[in-house]
Amino acid sequence: MRKKISLLSLTLVTIGMLAACSGNSASTEEKSEKKSLAFVSNFPSDTLDPQLNYTTVRAGIAETLVKVNEQLQIEPWLSKKWKTEDGGTTWVFEIREGIGFQNGKALNAEAVKHSLERTIKESEAMKSALKIKEMKANGQILTITTKEPLATLPSELVHPNTAIIDVDAPDIKNKPVGTGPFKVASFKPDTAIKVKKYKEYWGGEPKLDEVMLTFNDDENARTSALQSGEADIVYRPAIESLNTLKQDSSIVVDIQPSLRNQMLFYNSRKEAFKDKNVRKAFDVLLNPKDVVDTALAGQGSAAKGPFLESLDFSNDQKTKTYGTSEAQKYLEKAGYTLKDGKTIKNGKQLSFKLVTYPYRPELPLMSQMLQSEAKKIGVKIDIQQVENMDEYMTTKDDWGMVTYSLVTAPRGDAGYFFNALYMEGGAFNVGHFHEPALTSIIAELNKTVDQKQRNKLARQAGEIVEKETLHSSIVHPNNFVAYRDNVKNWVTTKSEYYVITKDLDVK
Amino acid sequence: MELIGKRIIELLIFLVILSFLSFVLMKLAPGDPVKQMLRVDDVAVSEEQMNNLRTELGFNEPVYIQYVKWLKRFFQFDLGSSYMTKEPVIDELVEKFPSTLRLTVASLVVMLLIAVPLGTLSALYPNKWIDYLSRSISLIGASIPSFWLGLLFIQLFSVRLQWLPSMGTGTAAHLVLPSLTLGFAMSAVYMRMIRASLLEGLKQDFVRSARARGISESRIFIFHAFRYSLTPILTILGTSLGSLLGGTVIIEVLFAYPGIGKLVIDAIMNRDYPVIQGYILWMGLFVVLINSLVDLSYKYVNPQLYVKGGDKT
Repeated sequence: MRKKISLLSLTLVTIGMLAACSGNSASTEEKSEKKSLAFVSNFPSDTLDPQLNYTTVRAGIAETLVKVNEQLQIEPWLSKKWKTEDGGTTWVFEIREGIGFQNGKALNAEAVKHSLERTIKESEAMKSALKIKEMKANGQILTITTKEPLATLPSELVHPNTAIIDVDAPDIKNKPVGTGPFKVASFKPDTAIKVKKYKEYWGGEPKLDEVMLTFNDDENARTSALQSGEADIVYRPAIESLNTLKQDSSIVVDIQPSLRNQMLFYNSRKEAFKDKNVRKAFDVLLNPKDVVDTALAGQGSAAKGPFLESLDFSNDQKTKTYGTSEAQKYLEKAGYTLKDGKTIKNGKQLSFKLVTYPYRPELPLMSQMLQSEAKKIGVKIDIQQVENMDEYMTTKDDWGMVTYSLVTAPRGDAGYFFNALYMEGGAFNVGHFHEPALTSIIAELNKTVDQKQRNKLARQAGEIVEKETLHSSIVHPNNFVAYRDNVKNWVTTKSEYYVITKDLDVK
Repeated sequence: MELIGKRIIELLIFLVILSFLSFVLMKLAPGDPVKQMLRVDDVAVSEEQMNNLRTELGFNEPVYIQYVKWLKRFFQFDLGSSYMTKEPVIDELVEKFPSTLRLTVASLVVMLLIAVPLGTLSALYPNKWIDYLSRSISLIGASIPSFWLGLLFIQLFSVRLQWLPSMGTGTAAHLVLPSLTLGFAMSAVYMRMIRASLLEGLKQDFVRSARARGISESRIFIFHAFRYSLTPILTILGTSLGSLLGGTVIIEVLFAYPGIGKLVIDAIMNRDYPVIQGYILWMGLFVVLINSLVDLSYKYVNPQLYVKGGDKT
């Protein structure tokens, strides 16, 4: 018996000893000496190479020539101003003076040129987006010539992959040298990055001494990290934990609408969806408010169009009447009749496959809601869930509708959305819609530099999309961040590009 | 020496077959790395641009030509570079492997600390309270999904008691919760296995003979019954070791532990073929080596299995 007890005790003592060797005490001590902050996000980072990952900009290490503000308008950052005199083929950027890299090297047009050259060499995506033919540097003036007129060049230069770094610095993957308020102290791929303040930052001395950014894909684990005090700020805590977090007086929950839109794409290769009245029927079948309340647990807003209403290029959307009877009216216009509980045309019931994917759990829920509403008006929807949605949409044509989630204006410009979805050969033109009037407006948009004119064209394009119901915008899900009440000056940006700033502070 | 040479040739043939099958299956599976590389969800690109990149990367060539090119590089010890990070695949694997190895060893230690004493006591005192306790723990361990157990541990040790960090790496403390989660989940199986093997061992003729010869019970237990029961345990230990070294994805994600499992899951999501292919070969190599070691260990643990002439009883 004694032997038994000693064996059990040994096991428990060993586990206890392992547990006791906690590393928390050291970090607490460090915290009291320095102004530090711990941030846990779901943004993965296997490299700090800014040309391949967003973390360098998010962590305040590097900056881009142009940035996007909270109204999603582009504004100067490392570049003081820019202009084009030939409709978007030649762009002249004036680089701010008096800026230094974190290793003391001065930032001039030559350094920016080398950095952008590296960008297009390392990133196929940026090479495609920037379309750079030639660059010339002269003092603080950088002249970029593009292969074709590119009215969106300043907006493309907002992309974190165009962040300016010192390309001559060693070990860009682990320790890039930028111009931001924080420099890399240590980096463990896919785990954490520690940054410390760069006192000589051109925008003024940062308030924090250091920030620890940890990556964790699991939302429950992130929530626990905040509750345990391991984290001061967590990005996207578990949605079901929001009410609990709100009840904790030491935690602040910040909720902001995102640029993301949960949408329905229609397949024009399917006979039924060639008819715009059929598309309109599904456009009004599902009430976005119900989707917000049910599938998003209240964390979102009804979408009236692809873009947030507050954006200048968002076209005026009319308030729609939703419901089965409204949907039925459109189906009748399309020649369908409801008979014996089935919506029929030429003796055939309206039925199709709806494809969805589990990565965003609200999408399968939204699909089920649509299926249930459709059943009420005699339409049969078969739901199929796939892992790789992009692949399915582009390689198969057996689907009638898909639920999809897309960031519609990632850099504060409508060009991406219309080119990707509705231009011939666009990577996201999965519905194979070809509207000549829309195509010509997008072509015009691509040539137009003046922002006011661009917004006007984008609104016109949006009106055609709306009139023809080429897709249905359902909801904008919210972004939410939770932080401890000792955190000061936190801003949840719509773009999600800027996270750690010089103004971020702790009490 | 001859045996080692034979094993190396077998291993090489195995790796080539494995690489061929995995290469072909990967190419047949849906997915397009070009879309990830061009980040079509935030950069407006056209089908034409995607096609150009596919041609540039050789994806439009027949699969067998792509495989031959890959094999040529493989024999020059080059596994290629990741499409996403542009880093050599071998560097990525070598970088992540020590973390996985540490987690593997720690989990096995936890498993052994739980399973060996409880499994042994359970066999020594069948149908007594310790046996019921061990069986209950085993049932609980086998029934609880490991990610949920991990979350429970985080709630208890990190949120409530604030003893241990819930994520990351760096100190020994960071290893405690993931290894406790994995070790506890594994110990359920091993406890039952140890109990069953020991009970069977204690019933063997040679144990009866030993008792008849007047050998002490503790000696019989350690040198006869326990030794007998080691063979099946070693066999499943080999399998566990293989799967642990392959990476335990859920635990690595939950505890933000940067192991090889998370590396390959990210690679699969991004259709990063060179990394997936490199991982398959790397793991294939380890599984074969571990199995060979387990095979060799039988010779010492239970020589009856290695009677000359291949009469393996």
